[in-house]
Amino acid sequence: MLNDLLNKIIKKSAGRLRYILAMFGLGIALMLILAAIQLQVNYNQLLHGNNVQDSIANFLVVNKIVNDETRGKTQLNDNEIDDLKKQPFIDAVGVVTPSRFKVSANGGTNLPFYTDLFFESVHDNFLDVHSDDWKWDDNSQFIPIVIPNMFLDLYNFGFASSQNLPQLSQDLIKNIPIQLSIQTPLGAKNFYAKIVGFSDRISSILVPQTFMDWANKNFATEAPKGASRIVIRTKDPSNPQLTDYLQTHHLSTDTDKTRFSKYRKVVAFVVRISWFTGVAMLVFALLVFSLFIELTIASSKEEIKLLITLGSSPKQLKRFMMKQLFPLNIVIMFLVLIILSLLQFVLYKFLGTQSMEINPYISWITILSAAIVLFVLWLVHIRTIARQINE
Amino acid sequence: MQITLNNIIPIPLKENLSKRPSDVWHSNITFEPEKIVKIKAPSGTGKTTLIHYIYKLRSDYEGNILWDNKNIQQIKGDELAANRQQNISVIFQDLRLFENLTARENIELNRVLQKPFYESGKIDEMAERLGVSHILNQRAGICSYGEQQRIAIIRALIQPFSLLIMDEPFSHLDNNNSYKAAALISEECSRRNAGMVLTDLDEDDYFNYTIKLNL
Repeated sequence: MLNDLLNKIIKKSAGRLRYILAMFGLGIALMLILAAIQLQVNYNQLLHGNNVQDSIANFLVVNKIVNDETRGKTQLNDNEIDDLKKQPFIDAVGVVTPSRFKVSANGGTNLPFYTDLFFESVHDNFLDVHSDDWKWDDNSQFIPIVIPNMFLDLYNFGFASSQNLPQLSQDLIKNIPIQLSIQTPLGAKNFYAKIVGFSDRISSILVPQTFMDWANKNFATEAPKGASRIVIRTKDPSNPQLTDYLQTHHLSTDTDKTRFSKYRKVVAFVVRISWFTGVAMLVFALLVFSLFIELTIASSKEEIKLLITLGSSPKQLKRFMMKQLFPLNIVIMFLVLIILSLLQFVLYKFLGTQSMEINPYISWITILSAAIVLFVLWLVHIRTIARQINE
Repeated sequence: MQITLNNIIPIPLKENLSKRPSDVWHSNITFEPEKIVKIKAPSGTGKTTLIHYIYKLRSDYEGNILWDNKNIQQIKGDELAANRQQNISVIFQDLRLFENLTARENIELNRVLQKPFYESGKIDEMAERLGVSHILNQRAGICSYGEQQRIAIIRALIQPFSLLIMDEPFSHLDNNNSYKAAALISEECSRRNAGMVLTDLDEDDYFNYTIKLNL
C-alpha cells in the first residue's frame, strides 16, 4: 500500500526512454562480458582437455632456420640451450647429438642396398619409442636404430609402388639385419645394426646415446660441433609465448604443432575485445543508471521533501527506490544467462560434430561473474540512491 | 514525548524580537502530553518559524530544542522519521498535501507510513464527522482550502502521536466547522493522552488550554 502511494508520488516518467535504452545497453554489456568469460572457459577446456593431450603434441624438435646467413652454422651453443631451459613455458630440453664420423650401411647378402648414413642421438626421455632392444653397451650384438615413421611411409606409398617393389611392414623391417661400416682413423670397422622402432616425433636416424658417446669418442674425425637440434618438452605447444620466443631467436619447429597458437591469439584477441567493450558498456550503463536515479529523485525533490517532512524514513524511501529500479537488473541478468546457456548448448552441439568436446552448460565461473556484476550494480544503485536521498 | 525549548531565538529575527517581550523566545518552555498549550502571536512574530523549529524543519536559531532530553540537532534520518511517525504529528498552516494524490490517498499515506494506528475505515468515519466524505476520492489539488485543511487535520489524526502541533489549524474554516474539527481533535488527543501545541493570531475557546503564551 505504501509503495503504491509512493509510486504515485515519485514520478519516473522523466527519461523513461533513456532508462529503457540504458537497460538494453546493460543487457548487451552483460552479454559481452559473460560471453567473453564463457568463451575463455570453453577455450581452456578445449586446450587442456584430455583429448588434446596426446603425446606428440608436447615434444617439439627445434632447430635454427637455415638461410643464407646461418648456412653451416646452425648448431646451438650452450648459452642458447641454457636460455631455452630458463623459459617458463619449456619444461625440459633434450640435446640432439650429431655423429662426428662417417658411416655407411648395406643390406649384406640378403638385401642388396648401400647407403651413406648419419646418426643422431637424444636422451631416452625425449624419445617416443619404447623397445627392449633400445640399449647398447660394449657387449651388445647389434646397434639398435630408430628411423622416422615417415621414411617407411615414403617408401611404402611413394617409392615402392612407383618402382614395382614390395611394400614392407614395420615388423619385416625390424628383422632385416643391417651391416654398418664406420670410418675410423684406423680404417673401416663393421657393426651389426637392427631397426627397433619408428619415431613420429624426431625425423632423424637415431642410435642410443651410449653408443653415440662411445663412437664419437673413439671414431670422431671432426671436433665436437655442439647440438644440431634440440627436443623440448612443453605443457602447451600452442602457447603464443613459445612461438614468439622461437621466432625472435630464429628457431623453427614443426609448425603443425604450434599452429594452434595462431588460433589462440585470435581467440584471446576476440575475448579481449569483447571483454573491453563489455566493461566499457557496463560503465556507461552504470553512469546512465546513476544519472537516471539522480534525475528521478531531482524531479521529485519537492515530493520527497514533503514525504520526509511527514515522517517517511530515508530507509523506506531507499527501499522503495531500490524496489523500483533494481529488479529489472536481475531480470536482465537472468535473461542474459538464459541466452548464454542456449548459445553454449548450440556451441556444444556444433563442436560435437567437429569432435571437439565442451561442457553443454555454462560454467560456474560465468555464473559467479554474473553474481559479482550484479553485486556491483546493486552497490551503484544503493549508493546513488542513498546519496541522493540523504541530500 | 516531551519537547523542551531552551532559550531559543531565531537568528534572522533576533534584532526585532529582542525589543519586545515574549513568553517563548529566550525562555525555557516544555510541551508535554496532556497539556494543551496555546501560543498567541500577531503576524510576523515568528509563529510558523517556531512550529518549524520544534518539528525540526529549520534550525537557524540560537539555543537548544530537546525531544525527550535529546538535542534535535543530533536527531537525524531514520530516528527523526521514527519520531515523526510515532510521537509528533503536525498540521501545517500551508497544509502541505500532495496535490496529485486524492484526499483519501493523502490521509492513507500517513496511516501506512508506520504500523497503522487505525484501520482504513477510520478515514471515512473522520471525514464524515468533518463533512468531507464527498471529496475523499477527489484530487487534493482541486479541493478548496477549507476542504484541504480538514483533510490535513484528518491526516494528522490518523497516525499515532503523543504531541500534536497545529499552526493556525482552522484558518480556512467557518466557526461551525472549526468547532467540529476541534471536537474531533480533542477526542483523538485524549484517546492517546497526547498534548497539543496550537498557534493562532487571536484568542479562542476551541480547547481547554492549560497554558497560554504570548509569542
